[in-house]
Amino acid sequence: MAKTKNDILQGTLGLLVLKTLATRGTLHGYAITSHIQQVSADMLRVEEGSLYPALHRMEQEAWVRAEWGTTEKNRQARFYTLTALGKKQLATEEESWARLTEGVRRVLRYA
Amino acid sequence: MSWTRRFANLLRSNRHARDIERELAFHVSERADDLVAAGMSREMAELEARRRFGNFGAQKEQTRDADILTWLDSMIDDTRYAIRMLRNSPAFTLVVIFSLALGIGANTAIFTLINAVMLRSLPVAHPEELVQLTMPGGQQSFTNPVWEQIRDNQKIFNGAFAYSSIRFNLVTSGEVRYALGNFVSGDYFRTLGLQPTVGRLLSVADDKRGCPSIAVLSNAYWRSAYGAAPDVLGKTILLNAHPFEIVGVAQAGFAGLEVGRGTQVFVPLCTEPVFRGAISFLDHRSAWWLSLMARRSPEVTATQLQNALNALAGQAFAATVPPNLRQDQERNYLKNTLAAEPAAHGVSDLRRKYRSALVALMVIVGLVLLIACANVANLLLARAAVRRREMAIRVALGAARGRVIRQLLTESVLLSTVGALLGLAVARWSSSLLVAFLSPVGRPIFLDLRLDSTVLWFSVCIAVLTGLAFGVAPAWRSARVAPNVALKANARGIVEGQGRLTAGKTLVVAQLAISLTLIIGAGLLLGTLRRITTVDAGFDPADVLLVSLDKPRSAKSTAQQLAEKSAVLERMRTMPGVTSASLSQLTPLGNSSWNEEMLIDGFTPKSEEDGLAYFNEVSGDYFRTMGTQLIAGRDFEANDRVGTLAVAIVNETAARRFYGAQNVVGKTFRYRAGKGTSNPFQIVGVVKDAKYQSLREKTLPTIFVPLTQSAELGSDIYLEARIPSGAAAAIPSVRAVIESVDPKFQTSYIPFATQVANSLTAERLLASLSAFFGALALLLATMGLYGVMAYSVARRRNEIGIRMALGAGQRRVARMVVGEVTTLIVVGFAFGVALSLVSTRLISTFLFGLKPTDVPTFAGSMALLASVALLAAYVPARRAARVDPMEALREE
Repeated sequence: MAKTKNDILQGTLGLLVLKTLATRGTLHGYAITSHIQQVSADMLRVEEGSLYPALHRMEQEAWVRAEWGTTEKNRQARFYTLTALGKKQLATEEESWARLTEGVRRVLRYA
Repeated sequence: MSWTRRFANLLRSNRHARDIERELAFHVSERADDLVAAGMSREMAELEARRRFGNFGAQKEQTRDADILTWLDSMIDDTRYAIRMLRNSPAFTLVVIFSLALGIGANTAIFTLINAVMLRSLPVAHPEELVQLTMPGGQQSFTNPVWEQIRDNQKIFNGAFAYSSIRFNLVTSGEVRYALGNFVSGDYFRTLGLQPTVGRLLSVADDKRGCPSIAVLSNAYWRSAYGAAPDVLGKTILLNAHPFEIVGVAQAGFAGLEVGRGTQVFVPLCTEPVFRGAISFLDHRSAWWLSLMARRSPEVTATQLQNALNALAGQAFAATVPPNLRQDQERNYLKNTLAAEPAAHGVSDLRRKYRSALVALMVIVGLVLLIACANVANLLLARAAVRRREMAIRVALGAARGRVIRQLLTESVLLSTVGALLGLAVARWSSSLLVAFLSPVGRPIFLDLRLDSTVLWFSVCIAVLTGLAFGVAPAWRSARVAPNVALKANARGIVEGQGRLTAGKTLVVAQLAISLTLIIGAGLLLGTLRRITTVDAGFDPADVLLVSLDKPRSAKSTAQQLAEKSAVLERMRTMPGVTSASLSQLTPLGNSSWNEEMLIDGFTPKSEEDGLAYFNEVSGDYFRTMGTQLIAGRDFEANDRVGTLAVAIVNETAARRFYGAQNVVGKTFRYRAGKGTSNPFQIVGVVKDAKYQSLREKTLPTIFVPLTQSAELGSDIYLEARIPSGAAAAIPSVRAVIESVDPKFQTSYIPFATQVANSLTAERLLASLSAFFGALALLLATMGLYGVMAYSVARRRNEIGIRMALGAGQRRVARMVVGEVTTLIVVGFAFGVALSLVSTRLISTFLFGLKPTDVPTFAGSMALLASVALLAAYVPARRAARVDPMEALREE
């Protein structure tokens, strides 16, 4: 099956979420989505629901910690925080992403 | 850590699902709020939020999947669904579970017995280090002088001990009450590594000549006879009227080293003279009564061990040569060697007697289980056909074939698990029943039938294998179905039908073959039992009561003892209801024998065996009481006393063997006694042949001598009485008579017929069980055949309708069905006969009077199975004939 745009984004979703949590601190799922959309100037559009399986997987891997809390609007939401392990994972993934993009850039540059 | 959390999430499944719902719903409502803030209407905003979120349900599931153990989750789902499906068809479920419980239960029961009798190690420390000492020819009995030599001079073992079995009478008069005992040497308990439960165990210090009479009880006996009272120490127990002080109770679970015999009392070897007095075996160089065992050190190699044993043997036998041996016998004695056999499983008479029977039974029940599985497989196949649409829809909706197969296998394994659990209960109950059946009257077999891990593992494996065996084929088939074919309204593709029925028919053929083998086996074993019980035993056991009379510690002379016992005999003869009575030293089939080497002019034995005759000392009227015919000469009479000519009565075989003639009245013989010969005996009568030790034996040459001429009488004797009103019913009156003559007699009673039956326990067991399983196999195979044929006819209604419309008559159609069945039967029989020819050879040692290829048995079994099978085919054939072509075709 040919990789659609969505699949490529799924692969980097973890990286984006980790980075978001690293810069913005503790957020709930919707806030993470909004942040990514805002900062990427709407260039990244992802099926919003697909965030949650990814978040829960990361929680199982102990890269993030989750807790139920209340928002300003007095609603119940689940808040995620980056762990130390998650910080290390972020560094690793940032590095592989850099290598990947550098490699792709070089191949595309080759005229 | 995440593992346990994932598991926990499964347990709190509902709460977990709600949490996820909340989390995701929050996201959607936040998005909706933002959209409303951007200007959309509430309904549009909510729709758009949903759309952007994606497939809500799918995301929920995937999120949940990330948090749980998916494989466990699917397994739980499969199981729940399987339970629901099975509950929906209760008849099917019950039949399957019932047949599986029976099959698995029977297998587990036999395996429990095999485990207890053959596989389980002794409950002692490091049983694998135990060895038993043997002499050439597999002889396991030693004399005490040899033992003492070995005990004092051995250095190679980490401990060695001797033991011997004995029965103690706990009461001093009246009917006996026995406790099973062991004489044990001092190092017995220490070498075995056992601990006392109460008090102490016997030690080396307790085993010196002239030791005090002390005893150790087994744990089980302490519980049953003393109620596990802690104050049992110091109490006295009467063993054969000798007082012994109880000094301890052995550890739980230990009951001696002989599997199947639960020893209850242990006494030191040195107390043997207390019982036997002047004729003690302790210094007797020809009394072979001790078993020797030792614990080998793990570092000692086999060669080292054997060298040490050779040295030990040389010394021990040289120092203990028995007196009164001839030169060649002495040479043979000195040539004796010692060997060490592994004894981790103890010694067992029970094992020796029943080993092959148990293995044969294991094979039988294994085959029955196979047949049951085939039946269940057929049932499942039929069910799978019914559920084809359901499976097709699942596959069409995207289920992986593997998942569908897993679902169906879950059903199968669930069925077999429930069947196995019930089977465990069946096994527990039936193995106790089997052991009770095997126990001769008055001598219960002691076996630890506890469910230990071996048996449990066995059941689990059998259950899983069974589930897979009968579940795989139907599951595979179901998953292979092509959805578009199955979902058609008229799902009766002829192509489909043929394929499925071949599997069903193959199973039926296999069932018929295996059933035929089992029925033939049962026929052979039943025939054996019948032949053994109807063999002319030479005596008539019906209505004869055997009484064992014993007066131990009697200091009287032989003449006085004889007078006492004759007094009882005379009173018995006058008792109303008694037509004749007699005394004898031994009884037929009574587990004792006495033989001598015959010395007769003109007779040269062909081998040592050939020159032996078997003896019995009897009173007058013995033959009349036992129902043995006197052919020539006379019976013993009052004139045959000590001092008159020594007389004897021989049986036909003895007459033929030693004299070559029928009528030998008047001839004389001697037998070898020690270094010389006995006095001459003159034959005064000849009796018909009768069995001596076992009903299976080729009749032994037997010689009877009069009790009244006996030189030395033992303290015990047997009384036989023929009581036409019934032997068992007469026991109370007989007991009263004996007590009125002399209350000091110790007595035990057994009807002669029961003694005969006890000697046939193994045969009866095999015959009844194989008959039961043969019948079960027959039933199962017939059910299987009926099921397949009924199903086949139901599916071929169209085809039959067409045939009838085209002119086939009812008879023709019925014949078609019967023809199919006949083909199945013929093919099944072909395989069955081949299988039988191979397998009956395995039981040829059990058979009596029958060859393993006995043609009438084979023919009879085939006739039985064929007629029952054809009967089973009757209903489907009739149904096929009754098909109304118009109705059948209209269903198109």
